[in-house]
Amino acid sequence: MMRRMILNRLGTSVLSLFLLVTIVFFLIHATPGGPAYSILGMHATPEAVAALNKQMGLDHPLWQQYGIWWAHLFEGNLGYSFTQHAPVATLTGSYLANSIILYVLATVIAVLFSVLIGMFQGYWAERTPGVLIGAGQIIVYSIPTFFIGVMLILFFAIYVSWFPPGGIGGDQSAGGVLNIGSYFHHMVLPAITIALPLTAGLSRYFGHQARSEYRLDYVRTARARGVPPLRIAVNHVLRNAIRPLVTVIGMMIPGIFVGGILTESVFNYPGLGWLLWRSALEQDYPTLSAIVLLIGVLTILGNLAADLTNSILDVRVRYE
Amino acid sequence: MSSSPTDMNVNNSLVARPIPGMFTRLWTDSLRHWVGQYSHPMTWTGLGLFVFLMLFSWLGPVLYPVSPLAIHANHLLLAPSWQFPFGTDNLGRNLLARMMDGGQATLEVGLLGALIAISLGIIYGMIAAMSPRWLDKVLMRLLDALLALPAIVLMIFFAAIIPLNALSLILVLGCLSWPGLARIVRNEALAYKEKDYVLAARQFGASTFYIARTHLLRSMLPILIVNATFMVADLILALSGLSFLGLGIQPPHASWGGLLNDGLQLVIIGPWWMIVFPGVAIFLAIVAMNVLGQGLLARLEGR
Repeated sequence: MMRRMILNRLGTSVLSLFLLVTIVFFLIHATPGGPAYSILGMHATPEAVAALNKQMGLDHPLWQQYGIWWAHLFEGNLGYSFTQHAPVATLTGSYLANSIILYVLATVIAVLFSVLIGMFQGYWAERTPGVLIGAGQIIVYSIPTFFIGVMLILFFAIYVSWFPPGGIGGDQSAGGVLNIGSYFHHMVLPAITIALPLTAGLSRYFGHQARSEYRLDYVRTARARGVPPLRIAVNHVLRNAIRPLVTVIGMMIPGIFVGGILTESVFNYPGLGWLLWRSALEQDYPTLSAIVLLIGVLTILGNLAADLTNSILDVRVRYE
Repeated sequence: MSSSPTDMNVNNSLVARPIPGMFTRLWTDSLRHWVGQYSHPMTWTGLGLFVFLMLFSWLGPVLYPVSPLAIHANHLLLAPSWQFPFGTDNLGRNLLARMMDGGQATLEVGLLGALIAISLGIIYGMIAAMSPRWLDKVLMRLLDALLALPAIVLMIFFAAIIPLNALSLILVLGCLSWPGLARIVRNEALAYKEKDYVLAARQFGASTFYIARTHLLRSMLPILIVNATFMVADLILALSGLSFLGLGIQPPHASWGGLLNDGLQLVIIGPWWMIVFPGVAIFLAIVAMNVLGQGLLARLEGR
């Protein structure tokens, strides 16, 4: 039963990957004039286009090109970026690292604050503070990520200048020593921007968990025995309510990427989302398709991981 | 003509005369029933807010006939005042007029894109629900695969390739947003498919299409309306995000996301009105639709 379910999920993920690669392939070939024109620009000479077509295997029929496309993907050959003047595969490395550090930081902030807020919300569930927290969650959740980012820049970077308005710290380009302090100083506002909506959603979920835990008999028993409230909160409620959080964090991964793309663009933070945005604006199709594939694969894997942990942790899902 | 008064009295009291319209339900009755089915404080709040934004965008230009493109070279970057209620941008354009213009584009794409997404979702979901079991399985597996794809990334990808205008954005956003709804439609249709009235209709020889259209679609209408409101909110957010990235509605045409990006470009000078007004407008539109949906949902779940 278990094995069948895992195979099912794996099959779905493989199908997702296949669809993703196919959609990207056909869209790139649907660009006006084909990929050669989009690489060389609209004013390329016919000879140059023909030469590039031959070099890239674009003179073959479409179905053969589709095969070549897959072969290239398996070799890790993602093409050459003509705006950044580097093979795409080597280009993405540093951007990916920047993104991952930012997203992990944002997730850690979001989880810590969600647990804290959720515990208070669960404790005060039916009273005014709980209701206020609930309203605040809905409001924050509805603010678009990019608006949060711009507002944070306006207040904390322009009006009071506590943090830089964008870019990345620690001068990495000059080959100097990475200035950790400056690096994280630049990361504060982007991380908060990604973390805020995440916290709103996650703390609401965690608040519900904590609240239903607070209603159980063993909590009442503990209270009656005279166990201090803080100890009830930490030892009993928190420990039980935190269990499903693992799954939810897995399910958050696509949301983190979506928030990340917009946030990185707002703050000019050189991560994957920023590269996606730049290559889309500059119509750098090799880079664009590589980033779409990369983020797509990461999202699909994130979904898969969430599904699998969910089914391992929760017996009910396993037997559905 | 005039008989004795007593005769008249007898007739009036003993003969039951039908009150006009007694046995026919008036359209006002149906309307009252239909509205009552959804009525909830949150429904009215959300609907009111959204209608306000629509009036702002479409009725606003009639009441405040100022060109959103006219450039006032000696009124650059002015804070809100009586002459320019929302201030001016770096080209001296009237921000209030641009907000109205941008509202039209934003709400238009949100509503029409949602219409496309909902139609596609209904078609796909219904086909899956009414087809044989193996085909349903195949279609659902395909849907799972589509749902795992990151929609916003694909939207950016499409936006980089297609020519950008309101129509193409409606199509792209609509065509990339339907899978979630298709699953809901399919699950609802399967739940109603085995109900007695549907089986009865089938016994009477009703065609599959007739059942899908008449019985299933009508039964799931409330849940469809709820999800339609969330869909509109999602699409307004997606369009605003794309326009904010410069991949949505193209200048000189305004959209709320694009106006917010104009504000970001000048953030160093700190023109708060170019950031707060468009941002709040996007926020209000999304909140309006989400609150409306929550209200409808609350009624459906009988809370």
